[in-house]
Amino acid sequence: METIVKSTYIKRKKNGSISLRAGNKSKFVIRMTMITLFVLTIAGFLLFDYTGLEIRTAVVETASNLYAMFFKPALNHFTWAEALYQIGVTMGLAVLSTIIGAVIAFFLALTAAANLSKEWVTKVVRVIVAFIRAVPTVLWVLIFAIAAGLGSEAAVLGMLFHSIAYLVKAFSEAFEEVDKGILEALRAAGSGWWHVVIHGIIPSTFTYLLSWTFLRFEINFSVAVAMGAAAGAGGIGFELFMASGFYFDLNEVGFITYAILLIAIILEVFSTQLKNRYFPSSVRN
Amino acid sequence: MTFLQIAGLSKSYNNETTVLKDISFNVKAGEFVSIIGPSGAGKSTLLRCINRMVSISDGEVVFDHAPITKLKKRALRQLRTDIGMVFQHYNLVPRLTVIENVLHGRLGYKSTLQGVLGRFTEEEKEHAFFLLRKLGIEEHAYKRCDQLSGGQQQRVGIARALIQNPKLILCDEPIASLDPNASKIIMDHLKSITTELEITCLINLHQVEVAQQYSDRIIGLNQGEVVFDGPNYKLTEEKINHIYGTQMRELITV
Repeated sequence: METIVKSTYIKRKKNGSISLRAGNKSKFVIRMTMITLFVLTIAGFLLFDYTGLEIRTAVVETASNLYAMFFKPALNHFTWAEALYQIGVTMGLAVLSTIIGAVIAFFLALTAAANLSKEWVTKVVRVIVAFIRAVPTVLWVLIFAIAAGLGSEAAVLGMLFHSIAYLVKAFSEAFEEVDKGILEALRAAGSGWWHVVIHGIIPSTFTYLLSWTFLRFEINFSVAVAMGAAAGAGGIGFELFMASGFYFDLNEVGFITYAILLIAIILEVFSTQLKNRYFPSSVRN
Repeated sequence: MTFLQIAGLSKSYNNETTVLKDISFNVKAGEFVSIIGPSGAGKSTLLRCINRMVSISDGEVVFDHAPITKLKKRALRQLRTDIGMVFQHYNLVPRLTVIENVLHGRLGYKSTLQGVLGRFTEEEKEHAFFLLRKLGIEEHAYKRCDQLSGGQQQRVGIARALIQNPKLILCDEPIASLDPNASKIIMDHLKSITTELEITCLINLHQVEVAQQYSDRIIGLNQGEVVFDGPNYKLTEEKINHIYGTQMRELITV
């Protein structure tokens, strides 16, 4: 016997089984987007200009280049000590722009968080910050280079600018996640605005602020590498640029790549350790 | 002696949804008053009008001989130091220790700089430990609040309200998230606050029988209006039905 319940509230698929999703519109949009992207990808490959391409030679050459880079890394134009120093310079650029950026971003984020600030202030700060974020870091560096000249000053200023915009968004969203009951309790006890920030907001969001800052530091480190080449900011990025574009020394490019990779891994491990040890998000008992 | 006087209090949001309509009652010093009523009756809003966590649309609230309806920033902060508040979800900062959370109750007395630097006097700290001892959670003083059970957290909330040296304590459904045992402990503590320290207590409750058992006086609220106001023994089954708009036996009490 059929026991299908007739109810106006149950949504059914075409084959009669009960649907668990609320609406079909979003599913439809997602599916159409995927199909469109798929078709565009195929069409793209068909429309490329393939004249003068010899697949075989290209593959072999690329493979041998990669082999030279990653299996025979070597230092030819500068010493170990110099390499370390240059990495230090790059780290310096990243640290400077991240730390100053995080401090400025913290205060701006307080004005950009809807639960701490007036609505119009929030909106104004957000629009400005969104605009700054929309322009890539490299462009900001080049813009500041007009005033400061190509070099590390312009690089730090540009990276700083973009870091602030990025962190303001991240920080203010973390602030808005704070349980509004906490803020209510502090305000009900007669606390002023700064009291709420220091005793309610910061303790509740500190780990988030820290991990966003570290994430931005990692980004800034890789941007600083690029800036070494693009804006003449010096550091390991500049050496990479010289090795690849000036000396055509693939072995050295490989060495520098490994060095950068190593630093990135160290930073990652360090930040995870720091967070777990000193700022656990919850304490198990 | 009238300690808290509410006259013609109305609250509406955007001049459209009216939450409270023309509420009037007086509370004497040292009274333990329960406010009961169905969800959405405006109980929480009523409490928050008294310490101005929500603004008052119309009417007058007089607290300790001073009208509070139009207080500005500084005076408002001062008013709030006199009124402690206890919440359903405790509203502690979970990552701070118990003692730090208790001391948050003193922030209302601090200047911006003192508060930001966390300058609490030795007496304040002593007082905080004294309160924790009274509430039976002194041994947890250095634990993070998210390690405590619900009942313990609520006791921290009460300590935070008491360290303000308040004249009035507002409790917004303090036992709605607790099991019966913890509820009893919390209600006993709240009751002893009024009897021992003579602090007036205004408490929102969902449990009719708890209200009857503990309070001197009960105020029934329905759809933003006071539909019952009297001593607890006058709250008959008929009146309860009137407050909740249903038959008593259809309600799950306790």
